Amino acid sequence: MQLRLTINDRPHELEVEPHRPLADVIRTDAALTGTKVACGEGTCGTCTVLVDGRAVLSCLTLAAACDGADVRTVEGDGELLDRLRTTFTAEDAFQCGFCTPGQLLSAVALLRANPHPSADEIRAGMSGNLCRCGAYPAIERAVARAAEAG
Amino acid sequence: MARLVRTQVEMEGRYEERWTLVEDDAAPEYADDERLNVVGHPHPRISAAARLSGAARFISDISLQGMVHAAVLRSPYANARVTSLDLAAAAALPGVRAAIGPGDIPDRDGRPVLTDAPAYAGAAVAAVAADTPEAAERALAALAPAWEPLAFVVDLDEGLARQEFTQDPAETTRGDVDAALAAAAAVVDAEYRTPAQVQSPLEPHCAVAVWEAGSLTVWSSTQGIFAARDELAAAFDLEPDDVRVVCEYMGGGFGGKQGAGPEGFVAAELARRSGRPVRLVYSRGEETIAAGHRAPTVQTYRMGADADGRLVGIEGSAVIGVGLHGWVFPVLNPAETLYACENVRSMVLPVKLNLGFSNAFRAPGVMEGTFGLEQTLDELADLLGIDPLEIRLRNGVDHEQGSGSPYTSKHLETCQRRATELAGWAQRYRLRSDGRVRRGMGMASQIWWGGGGPPAHATVRLGKSARPTLVCGFQDIGTGTMTASAVIVAEALGVAVDAVRVQAGDTARSGYGPTSGGSMTLASVAPAVRSAAHDVRTQLLELASDLYEIAASDLVLADGAVSSRDGTLRHEITEVTSKLGNSSLVGHGSRGPNPEGMRIHTFGCQVAQIAVDTRIGAITVERVWAVHDVGRIINPMGAISQVTGGVLQAIGFALTEERVVDPTTGTVVNAGFEDYKVPTMADTPEIVCEFVDSPDPHLGLGIKGLGEPPIIPTAAAIGNAFAHATGVRMREAPYTPRRVLEALA
Repeated sequence: MQLRLTINDRPHELEVEPHRPLADVIRTDAALTGTKVACGEGTCGTCTVLVDGRAVLSCLTLAAACDGADVRTVEGDGELLDRLRTTFTAEDAFQCGFCTPGQLLSAVALLRANPHPSADEIRAGMSGNLCRCGAYPAIERAVARAAEAG
Repeated sequence: MARLVRTQVEMEGRYEERWTLVEDDAAPEYADDERLNVVGHPHPRISAAARLSGAARFISDISLQGMVHAAVLRSPYANARVTSLDLAAAAALPGVRAAIGPGDIPDRDGRPVLTDAPAYAGAAVAAVAADTPEAAERALAALAPAWEPLAFVVDLDEGLARQEFTQDPAETTRGDVDAALAAAAAVVDAEYRTPAQVQSPLEPHCAVAVWEAGSLTVWSSTQGIFAARDELAAAFDLEPDDVRVVCEYMGGGFGGKQGAGPEGFVAAELARRSGRPVRLVYSRGEETIAAGHRAPTVQTYRMGADADGRLVGIEGSAVIGVGLHGWVFPVLNPAETLYACENVRSMVLPVKLNLGFSNAFRAPGVMEGTFGLEQTLDELADLLGIDPLEIRLRNGVDHEQGSGSPYTSKHLETCQRRATELAGWAQRYRLRSDGRVRRGMGMASQIWWGGGGPPAHATVRLGKSARPTLVCGFQDIGTGTMTASAVIVAEALGVAVDAVRVQAGDTARSGYGPTSGGSMTLASVAPAVRSAAHDVRTQLLELASDLYEIAASDLVLADGAVSSRDGTLRHEITEVTSKLGNSSLVGHGSRGPNPEGMRIHTFGCQVAQIAVDTRIGAITVERVWAVHDVGRIINPMGAISQVTGGVLQAIGFALTEERVVDPTTGTVVNAGFEDYKVPTMADTPEIVCEFVDSPDPHLGLGIKGLGEPPIIPTAAAIGNAFAHATGVRMREAPYTPRRVLEALA
């Protein structure tokens, strides 16, 4: 089927089979490999992207259901994403970096919905994103610092 | 001048003597009173921009022209014989480029990669490569395997009763244990059980392979590019330099990604047969059942002390559920080495089970052994009425008791005193209450190796831009080796850390670098990096000396400038390097030998404070204080992250992580993050981290390893905190709510 997506402000017209997950279409058809897949079954948050401003698990989202949508990935820009990049760097909020794209997009969604979250709200909002390297304390500080800077 | 010497090198507690190439012009050590501008100061990772923008290309992101996708047929049975397999039918499907089965791939580690006698659920039987992942799945179905299920054993106690071992049980003894225990003032008997824990890197095992003109290139999510290269070269009958292994960015390993792995062999063979680049990425389920594990253990201890709490005898046994095969890790090494004790007997029983294979998982053996030993010691302290800190202080030892060799450095007592001071140990009784939620505090100590060793080589180039390039044979698996190496180059050349380019993770580009394992990477690589950078520094100062007509010994490099010591002359380094035109200054360095007759170990102590909700059985780890002796700290920012990560993986081991096997089918029932619970941000305590930061006087740059030490004591400290909180000893990890409620009932 014909699929129209706007990914990071750039329009894409793609021919995709209806069963294909959004993560696969972003990574393969749009060649944006910043979005990672770690479980493929919606249990780890690694593949998180924004679809029309909402954080979704792109491994479980059918691309076909996103026709016409505005998609934001880690390759995108924007003041909030840049702010988070700065605080993630300053706090050492990643180690191998494989979960990081999903962490960043979840943090964007969290701070858009709640620009000044409490510590508990950050922990609740970010707990769907696994980090096996264990950068959680740094990620929590990075999100808090990005909120303070907003 | 280069020469060869013999030296002792250790990996995960196994020692070997090897020849090593030594260069006489090794860089001088940092002087005790030297003011270091970069080393020891916090630096963000130099890879931050790449990792935070999506630009970092991980192995599972590699895509090549004409690339096809591999999939693996795995046994659904814990033990079976494959009675038929239709490779031709799979190969005949549209879009399928190759189908291979048992006997079609060279053996790996003396074992078939694809087998017609799969002896665990998940064992690889056949593999296909096709134009799309969907076509590969269809090809797997077309293989139409027929199975003859066979009897299996997955229960550790049953396996022990059957006396089937992966290798012979081994007993080691020093002193007269029976006499010592008979004469002891107090003796405790204790049993502890630990679970099978799965490494679970977020990037699963994966490889992309391509053949070009008889040479093989493999992008591998590996902890050892050179180990992978050598394995593949041997298996496919190639010269090592005809195999190139690349791993620039990879998504975690934690011990479980050694060498090329079965995935590298499968991708390489499918690529050879299909003439196409082949990508193989394990699914999360495959990652959980067929990529190795920390083996489950049953540990029993009989430990005795005199009336003052001095250990007189330890008898330990460890039944290890290795699985079908794999390394037998040193579960009882802590019992043999952590405390002074003249009489020690240890017995290791590696039980063979129809359950995958055991491979390294961060501090393999030692972490689970510490869980048992350090709780047994607390039980003994309790029996004697001695404080847990005090009994540990009374049993310190300044040499390795097995070999009698002195340690190159040891600051365990400093760690124990500092961690307990930070935690407010003396007031820990105030935490206790009889309410629904009970709090407690426990401690545990840690010993590990981590000295690293040769060979490791580095090259530094400096051209007209005055931005040095380091080329080195390590791979950064997320531990921060790239940044720590850049720090060392920046210190030597007086440039900013961000100005240093690091090219690593490519066997075609550099000399040999070590595997990221055994906490040996930086301790092996850093002296070579320092030596190469110092070589360039010497050349740069000679150029400046000629240009400005001043003795090189009167010049210093710092803040991007070359200056005279008296401050009268200052020029940007670029002013010197701009004269180089298209030439570069090139420096080489290599890792020297380890000190003779000494043992290199890391030490540490952690204190954990937990809250136990006695109504629902939930444990919250509230705070962990971690103090480790790992020699000189190069980049404290990255070092703290290593400690945080180790503590969190240990919290998973202590509270939630356990691979569960259905005893009736022999299959893993929680092969994914939905049911195999790794810690989340909500499970994260406050973690307070300090280092002794005392350079080891016998090692290059004074650096010891850091990857493994922080995971070792946490779970034992949590166990001791549970006993302190509730008065009840929990003997089996993980401490799930069900087990907590049963223990408290």
